[in-house]
Amino acid sequence: MSEESKSTRRSFLKGGAIVVAPLATIGVPAAAALAGDGDRDKLARLQDEKAIRDLHASWLRQVNSGNYAAAARLYADDKASCALAGIASVAADQDAEGLEFARDGKHASATYAAHIEVETAIAPDHTLAQMLHAQGEGMVRTSEQRMLKADYVRTPDGGWAIAKLDFQRA
Amino acid sequence: MPSRTPLPRPMHRLDYTKLTEAQIGAALAPVIKSGPAHASPLSDEFVGQTLKIVTDKALTLDYRFTSNSQLTVSENGAKAVAAGYGALTQDDICFFTHLIPGTLRGYAVVIDKPTRRTTVFEVWFGGFTDKREVMREIYVGYVEKAGAEAPKDRHVTTNRAEGKGWYWKQDNGWETIDYWSTIAYTHWVELSRKSEMGFSAPADYLQINEDYYIYTRTECEFSGSFTIYVADLNRAEQVGMRLGFDWGDALDYYVFRGKGEWLGQIAQFEKLGDVAGGALTPNPNSTGQAGSAAAPTAKGARAVYRPARTMERLSKEEVAAVKTSVFAGRLGAGNGTGGMGLHALPAQAFLVGKSFTLRYDSGLVMDYKVSKTDELQWRKNGGAWTTAIYQAFEPAPGVILFGHLLEGEPNRDGHSIVVDFDAGLVTCFNGYLNGPYIANEAQARTLFGVVEMEGINTPLYKRHQRTWDLVGRAITWNYSPTVSSMHLYSTPSTTSWIIFTAAGAGGLEWSGPGDFVKIRDELYFAYWLEEACNGTLGTIVINMRTMHDAGIGYHCGKNGGLSMSTVGALGRHAGKFDVKRFFDSSRKA
Repeated sequence: MSEESKSTRRSFLKGGAIVVAPLATIGVPAAAALAGDGDRDKLARLQDEKAIRDLHASWLRQVNSGNYAAAARLYADDKASCALAGIASVAADQDAEGLEFARDGKHASATYAAHIEVETAIAPDHTLAQMLHAQGEGMVRTSEQRMLKADYVRTPDGGWAIAKLDFQRA
Repeated sequence: MPSRTPLPRPMHRLDYTKLTEAQIGAALAPVIKSGPAHASPLSDEFVGQTLKIVTDKALTLDYRFTSNSQLTVSENGAKAVAAGYGALTQDDICFFTHLIPGTLRGYAVVIDKPTRRTTVFEVWFGGFTDKREVMREIYVGYVEKAGAEAPKDRHVTTNRAEGKGWYWKQDNGWETIDYWSTIAYTHWVELSRKSEMGFSAPADYLQINEDYYIYTRTECEFSGSFTIYVADLNRAEQVGMRLGFDWGDALDYYVFRGKGEWLGQIAQFEKLGDVAGGALTPNPNSTGQAGSAAAPTAKGARAVYRPARTMERLSKEEVAAVKTSVFAGRLGAGNGTGGMGLHALPAQAFLVGKSFTLRYDSGLVMDYKVSKTDELQWRKNGGAWTTAIYQAFEPAPGVILFGHLLEGEPNRDGHSIVVDFDAGLVTCFNGYLNGPYIANEAQARTLFGVVEMEGINTPLYKRHQRTWDLVGRAITWNYSPTVSSMHLYSTPSTTSWIIFTAAGAGGLEWSGPGDFVKIRDELYFAYWLEEACNGTLGTIVINMRTMHDAGIGYHCGKNGGLSMSTVGALGRHAGKFDVKRFFDSSRKA
């Protein structure tokens, strides 16, 4: 499956899997976001944008396939994965609304429109719920529109890692 | 042999002795030597033969049958030991059982002679918190034959048994109705004890071939006894065994033959072509699953619903102190039927502006003045007026279901009331607390009466009547996209409920007392009472024409306090078993 075809995929995966459309284009023109001068700086910035785009696409691939261990290797630390807690599935149907680089050149952030399904356990205080849980079921899914805010940090080897993921209420 | 003495209390109200392993061992010792009791002659099928059973889980059993009641057995090549046994045959099927000396274990073995395919059930006491509960592990395999290849196929777990109902009479006179309700549970009625109620227990269903199936039942949360039989579906015949301690702690270990009747087949809801079956695996993180054998791969593991030991219990003082929550929200947590109101009928203003009296035959007189869609005033037997929150639904034209709590009543009563304003009749399921067993467990009484209101011709003699129209019926109820169940009205006094698996198969099942009142043709007022199981009283008006119910739940717990809540679900008729005739009081066993 191509990345493009995944980007339009709207099906939801069970058990904490995530379906997200990959970043198709970076919304902010690269040149306008440049902080440095000269062709070398422009080239470096374009390389950073591509690296983050690839990082985001890779993250999407891993979470789409349910390979959270592989996705975790894209995080700067364990905290980033916490954003997925309680979220059963995500579909992002728009491109990133912005990619911004900090002046230090070591941090960046992007925002994506996302549609998520939140999985909540039915409170086990009535019989049907208790029995559902005993069967390994008993979860309720609700859909919500969110904004996925992703923070990135430059790694020691010059690459990028996901520092923080935050599904903010739209 | 089974005692036919009626139980002193319903099965879920008995205090089963916490038997120790030493007590169990002492009781088993004589029958380990003698073998199981039997009413029919034992088979001599194996006398003088040796038999080696090889299973896929690396259990091998080497048998030498020295008579029709004595054998030696070697487990996995260990030193052979002598034990009593009992065998019965059923055409090509051979069944035998024995215990292992010096242990609390034994085996039940099913052999299909033409194919040599074999299923071994290892059974043992002491594997759960309650030592008296029989555990079981299933080994499929075959009988080894010199020079012959091992058969490729095995007996298989399957859903093809799901949804069948059987009447059985054993050669010892014991009669039951066995509902093969789900792929992992069963519901049975002890006709020999004149039981008013049916009960639910984990089960196994394996297919031998098109004709023969293996059924097991372990009466978890009750006596812990284990029953296994091979059923010939076409001839309605069975051979099997029962092992366990009855409610009086007498040991049952006997083999039996039986004959029966097919009572019907209800619908299955798996995808067409899906024949998967098998015991459900336990969810160790779930309430009640944390006992031994909870790990999905543990020996004997399976999901067992254990409400008797997980129910939240409050004292009378706590019951008196809990706050109330009346129709707080259709998905409100802690209201006992939370999540069961998403498909509820809309609340109606039918009662607004009306004043009327409900005069019950019990002597209770309830006067009402209704001012709003969610607020009314009531008074009992001419006493002071009390304002209460209520909701009303109209499950059929002119028929109103409404409910409210009776603030100030010592047992914190709640009324779920169906009034037929066309007929001038009323039926009330009166829920109350502080019953004799568990203070926060709802109890229920059914009140019949009439309506007195301007414009209504109040009947003198006519009343709503209890009905058996629903007995044997199964109806699925979809409360929300993720919460569904199926009711099985298994006796005139039982509501059983079945939880579907993600694949649409029947899964866990439990049951409680039920009552059923006919309001109009195809319109019934029913309840399920979760005695010793969360304590909820669920009341529903079942409209068999629209296949939609309207309901009110009544529940008391620590979290939600005393609550009254909305229930509503979309129904599907799953079928009906032909069982009413077994509950006629004139029927002779």
